[in-house]
Amino acid sequence: MIDYEKTGVVKKGDIDVPDDERLEKGPVVVIECVENIPCDPCVAVCNFGAIDMDEITDVPDIDFEECTGCALCVTECPGLAIFVVDCSYSEEKCKVTMPYEYLPVPEEGDEVTALNRKGEEVQKAKVTNVRQSGKTYALTLEIDKENVWDVRGVEVKR
Amino acid sequence: MTERRIFEHPIIDFDRGEEFYFDFEGRKVKAYEGETIASALYADGLTKFTESKKLERPRGFFCAIGKCSSCNMSVNGRPHVRTCVTQVEEGMKVKRHGAKPDFPEKDIGRGKDRTEKDVEFAIIGGGPAGLMAAITAAELGGDVHLFDEGADLGGQLVKQTHQFFGSHEEDAGVRGIKIGDDLVEEAKKRGVNIHPETKVIGYYEDRKIAVERNGRFEVYQTEGIVYAGGAIENYLAFENNDLPGVYGAGGVQTLMNEEGVVPGEKVLMVGSGNVGLIVSYQLLQAGVEVVEVIEALPEIGGYQVHASKIRRAGVPINTSHTIVKALGDEKVEGAVVHEVDEQWNKIEGTEREIDCDIICLAVGLRPDTGFLRQAGCEMEYIPELGGQVPLRTEEMRTTERSIYVAGDSAGIEEATVAALEGKLAGVAAYEEITGKENEKTESLKKEAKDGIEKMRKGPYGQVPRQGVKTCTVDEEVCG
Amino acid sequence: MTTMVCRCEDLTEDDIVEAIEDGYDEMEKLKRHLRLGMGPCQGKSCTLLAERILCRETGKDIQEVAEPTARPPSQPVPFSLLASPKRGEQDE
Repeated sequence: MIDYEKTGVVKKGDIDVPDDERLEKGPVVVIECVENIPCDPCVAVCNFGAIDMDEITDVPDIDFEECTGCALCVTECPGLAIFVVDCSYSEEKCKVTMPYEYLPVPEEGDEVTALNRKGEEVQKAKVTNVRQSGKTYALTLEIDKENVWDVRGVEVKR
Repeated sequence: MTERRIFEHPIIDFDRGEEFYFDFEGRKVKAYEGETIASALYADGLTKFTESKKLERPRGFFCAIGKCSSCNMSVNGRPHVRTCVTQVEEGMKVKRHGAKPDFPEKDIGRGKDRTEKDVEFAIIGGGPAGLMAAITAAELGGDVHLFDEGADLGGQLVKQTHQFFGSHEEDAGVRGIKIGDDLVEEAKKRGVNIHPETKVIGYYEDRKIAVERNGRFEVYQTEGIVYAGGAIENYLAFENNDLPGVYGAGGVQTLMNEEGVVPGEKVLMVGSGNVGLIVSYQLLQAGVEVVEVIEALPEIGGYQVHASKIRRAGVPINTSHTIVKALGDEKVEGAVVHEVDEQWNKIEGTEREIDCDIICLAVGLRPDTGFLRQAGCEMEYIPELGGQVPLRTEEMRTTERSIYVAGDSAGIEEATVAALEGKLAGVAAYEEITGKENEKTESLKKEAKDGIEKMRKGPYGQVPRQGVKTCTVDEEVCG
Repeated sequence: MTTMVCRCEDLTEDDIVEAIEDGYDEMEKLKRHLRLGMGPCQGKSCTLLAERILCRETGKDIQEVAEPTARPPSQPVPFSLLASPKRGEQDE
């Protein structure tokens, strides 16, 4: 049995990730969807043809070179499994964009708690962007570079 | 008492009507126009709705959709009113009657004239399968009548606040609530005769169906029937499993997403299939704490993406765990769980208490087939499809002439498959009854069949695929 | 200790086991003996649990256990629905 089948928590090794060279170039997608479920809205929403599937039950096949990190797919994914990371942001900091469907909705500049895939606190973080699509938001957090593969959740206090 | 109504929600805007008061056992209780009696009382803090009839045990509401009768009360002097499906009115007098209701205060009416009517197609059930069957048969030119017991159609779609999976061609990425509304609009546009708040209460010889509407008995002589009655939530055996606070996941969804009322403060979710995972997420969105999800199997039952979503919010999922007891006298005050090995045996020393006020059961669904059994359809137990299902042809016809099945009643699957099965059954029924087979009907059938095949691909489709193979029979066998 | 199987008729797991031991070893027999599944919900909550207990106690496979006969009315209806109108009194 693979770990996530028991825990619901994926590891970096379970997913297809861009290489360091691509990461340094700018924002790029990270899709944490590892099972063959029948679902394909991410393919349809991408304007750059960066996500592909032969069958609807395939896992997304990502062309990291084509991906611009626009994050349209972040709010489109019904599984809320798509993130965008930007390691070109600064020397020490990077950015992570994630879907968000809770209340309260933070504002740009707010300080929030960045969480890992188990909901544990990783660090405090600043919200640098809030984008809304329908009822789903995409929040961008500024975090420490070393936490780029850990931060996947957020807690916003009232 | 704590207010249990939800006023702010990230996905749903609750449009409450006018505020007024009604009488509950001599006390004024606040309600909003459009609420059911049960949800207004629950919002006010009531948990004990009745007492059971022999053992006089406290009971809360349970199913929230008019099936279980745990919420029956006396309303304006009339006993045994199902408060979860009855809208509250200003000045109404409501009281609990437990096992011994008073004799009705006044003559509550006698039979009214019965009506009998001939129709071409009767579609039973207004969820995704029934709506698609109705839309398709009407689009082809059929005289279609759709019956549903609820005031609002859409079946279980109306409580699905999440974006749907599936193909972008089949509404993926759209929230269930919206899909339901769109299908109802489409059905109206196509000229489907919609009969809401109409209960189908029986099948009689030669495709006659009996319905009850507003106290009136009506009989419809039909030529063809598509049955899309959906599914029933499974119940689970453990000590004190009938305490108020032990609710079905579907009941919790209805209360929370349709009525805008939270079930409690701390929820233990039993079952990690997609329903358990999705309802957990919806509870979090409504601001309710989910203390833990437990699962008897060694692995999580639902999709990894749903599991990951609630794990990121800090909810633990414990596999190889089972519930053995609900704690509390009048309502749930906790639960006792322990670990099990691969043979389901208790692992000694693992028993522990969980602090919760709600135990939510998401332990599977089973096809609702009572109507089909009344109609004499041959059934078979197919574990992959959730229980007894009717044998049917590839085009959804049962072993009875002109009676079709679609959706969860044909086997538990996702809403998209249900809708596609409805479409297929709608066309096939139209062809059989009218004798008209043409390019249009062929292409509609092909679309539906291809769509279903696509959805059943991959590892998650393997289970239903195998089940459907077992219960699909040749046209000749069906007679 | 109360583990409820049939909420409508207040039948516990012990009630079902006892009836099976007394020889009521089919769903149809349990229904007639105990009123299992004959309350307002018409067997919607209890059938599966009773079937599982029956299989466990008798060693039967669940595939061999036939569901009890379904009859109208499948949902609770007021008696007045089935009564005829008063003589000389038509619909309002």
